[in-house]
Amino acid sequence: MENGMVEKATSIIKIPVTLEIPIGPQHPALHEPVLLKIYADGEEVVGVEIGTGYNHRGIEKLLENNTFYKGKFIASRVCGICNAVHENCFVRAVEYLVGMKPSPRAEYLRVLVMELERLHSHMLINAIMAEIIGFDTLFMYIMRDRELVMKAKEIVAGNRVSADFHMFNGVRRDIDDVKRDKLIDLLRRVEPRLKYYRKLFEDDPTISKRLTEIGVLKAKDVTSYGMLGPVLRGSGIKSDARAEDRYDAYNEIPFNVVVRGEGDSLARMLVRWDEALESLEMCKYILEHLPSGPAAVDERKLPRTFPAGESFARVEAPRGELTYYIQHAGGNKPYRVKVRTPSLNNIINSGFSYLGHSVADVPVILVSYDPCISCMERAIIVDLKNKVEKRATLREIAMKEVRL
Amino acid sequence: MSGTNNIEDALSSYIIGRDTVKPNRPRFHIDAGNLKSAIALLKQCLGDEALYLSNIIGVDKVAEGVIELNYFIHVVPLGNTIVIRVTVPRDKPQVSSLIDVIPGALSGECEAYDLLGVEFIGNRYLRRGFFVPVDVASRGVFPLRKDAKV
Repeated sequence: MENGMVEKATSIIKIPVTLEIPIGPQHPALHEPVLLKIYADGEEVVGVEIGTGYNHRGIEKLLENNTFYKGKFIASRVCGICNAVHENCFVRAVEYLVGMKPSPRAEYLRVLVMELERLHSHMLINAIMAEIIGFDTLFMYIMRDRELVMKAKEIVAGNRVSADFHMFNGVRRDIDDVKRDKLIDLLRRVEPRLKYYRKLFEDDPTISKRLTEIGVLKAKDVTSYGMLGPVLRGSGIKSDARAEDRYDAYNEIPFNVVVRGEGDSLARMLVRWDEALESLEMCKYILEHLPSGPAAVDERKLPRTFPAGESFARVEAPRGELTYYIQHAGGNKPYRVKVRTPSLNNIINSGFSYLGHSVADVPVILVSYDPCISCMERAIIVDLKNKVEKRATLREIAMKEVRL
Repeated sequence: MSGTNNIEDALSSYIIGRDTVKPNRPRFHIDAGNLKSAIALLKQCLGDEALYLSNIIGVDKVAEGVIELNYFIHVVPLGNTIVIRVTVPRDKPQVSSLIDVIPGALSGECEAYDLLGVEFIGNRYLRRGFFVPVDVASRGVFPLRKDAKV
């Protein structure tokens, strides 16, 4: 500014004000503990960090320290919603080691339980999506109708949630004609409701506007980031462990692999509705074509030790490909068991997909991935004298079982 | 270029052994130093949309003094999962990160580091306490090591 002249600015330096917003580990939009640390410039998400470890229970170590028979029941408790697929995958990994082949009736019943599970899991996450986008009544309607499926699962497995239905070389329970007729009746009552909800999600302008073009994932991105299940198929990749591995009775029961190309949150939810309808048809087919013969095995006659070897089983869980790897050196306990749940990939690798969206879209995108993170509340105790940290449950602290 | 034989041909210069994980997963043994270039070649041959990294599974082989790393790669056109196996010494478990070739390696590498102590060179997101509770991580224990007391 010389000689009374004002210099014109040729450039400006813009310093964005970035706001750090923690979503979770306890948050109304999340039904299980995970932390999404969002960095926002205004309303736009510019960075995401995903915090985990709030509920790691050491299941793999537990499986290594227990016999295969106890392991079967531990595996089915990894997840509440999809417990049958966990036990199926563990049981089949052991069967691959031994060379066991269950009876045709047992294989049909296994698929029946797993497809009922897919049905109620897909209804659950669509209900949660309805709640997240502000349709609380729709959430309640879907959850009411989901109870019919839970009842059906209870008739087959004896429990409405935790099935504990599988056993090596077969299943633990069989059904008779009375139960079969009850199941067919329940499925007939669910069918029109599923069709109605599917139509609602596609046609209702408020729902589709909230979900369309939100969290778009290209086919290249879902494979590069290892995303699975309806997320993968919602972006146009035709991959489904049921069609690829044809395990149990999937080589005999007709079904279609549902694929959509849009890649957005709506596509993922519609893939789930269509898969729920496919599952319903599969359940009806199973009940009408159930092979005769034995299904439940006499557990006393099963081997107590298994031959050494390695196996890798895949199952198409409601959230995507679930895998169990077993390395066994002989005896009655596995040397190594690796469980890879679909949410490990779908949630931890998903950070990139929130960028550029508004903060309000984050819960919608997260729910469209159907996160499944089993819960256990803990607290951290820091021993300042010895500089050691340890974790304890809140109950242990309240009951003074832990020295503070 | 999606049959198992074609994949084996493409990786032939890297393969030092072959076996099968039951029921039908072909496994190729390669040297740990060649891991990144072998996976990059596989991805280049198959295309971005034809494969995803399904699993990174570490096994602590105490008797052999190594940690075995099995990379389970699902090949979509093949409809099957192939396995790339490398081993790293137990006292210095280091291998190249795949994160810049396959970003989906993030979850598996972070997990294998936190639970088994395998260091993936080039992955700056590795941290203790990713899954392991703070009391275990603060003692420097890798819980899936066979000699770990947790």
